[in-house]
Amino acid sequence: MDGELVSSSPSYEKEGEYKNSSSFVTYTEKFYADFPYYLSIGMTYDLYWNGDASLPIYYRKADKMRNDRKNQEMWLQGAYIYDALCCVSPIFNPLAPKGTKAIPYISEPYALTKEEAKDKKEKNEIKNDAKALNFMEIFMIENNKKFAKKNTENTGGENNG
Amino acid sequence: MSKQLDIKYRDKEYKLEFTRKSVEIMERQGFVASDVDEKPMTVLPALFAGAFIANHRYINSKLIEEIYEHMRNKKELIGKLTEMYNEPINALLDEPEDEEGNAEWTASW
Repeated sequence: MDGELVSSSPSYEKEGEYKNSSSFVTYTEKFYADFPYYLSIGMTYDLYWNGDASLPIYYRKADKMRNDRKNQEMWLQGAYIYDALCCVSPIFNPLAPKGTKAIPYISEPYALTKEEAKDKKEKNEIKNDAKALNFMEIFMIENNKKFAKKNTENTGGENNG
Repeated sequence: MSKQLDIKYRDKEYKLEFTRKSVEIMERQGFVASDVDEKPMTVLPALFAGAFIANHRYINSKLIEEIYEHMRNKKELIGKLTEMYNEPINALLDEPEDEEGNAEWTASW
């Protein structure tokens, strides 16, 4: 069997220099070359040397998922920072008129899933409906007061007349 | 789950597999992977014995030879042991990331 192997896994010599994986003569050399990488992604000595031979495949996949999640979290943090800066930007403007205020920061986190977005939309609709109802009730009360006052005036005028 | 060979001999069960440590030990003892292709039947006993290292390290070598003598279908056995022996190194090899641009290949056997 050909001892030359092709791999895209990182390979390091003892001094920390990068070694081309196709120059390995024995399987043992390749094992030792890749050992630091698997240690760095959380695999223990015992698991690497004495554990299930196929474990490195899953450790690599898990590491990729971890990196993807971290990337997503950092992107999300950037979005929040961007939002915050946009909200306070009016007061950073030196030519802004006196009394300029910052825009209020978002009152709740972004909805990250479809279900969260749906819940958020429903909550907002309920909130808006309640506001509208409240407004209508106040309007109705005010209107009723006006009509009552007008009726009283008319009735009073008829009696006097 | 790594590839394993289960053997039952004289009411005892043996689980054969290769780990990176057992491959290292075999290479230290002089085993050469390329010999499996060049002289398979010559290296088969050593390959068979090496498969005991992971889970039955201190088993008597005479017992291993005895079990080997009683193993049937040695031609298929060499194929299976070779696959098992290569598993620790194959697990360290990455698959290409992108679907496009990869080479297509077929074997003639």
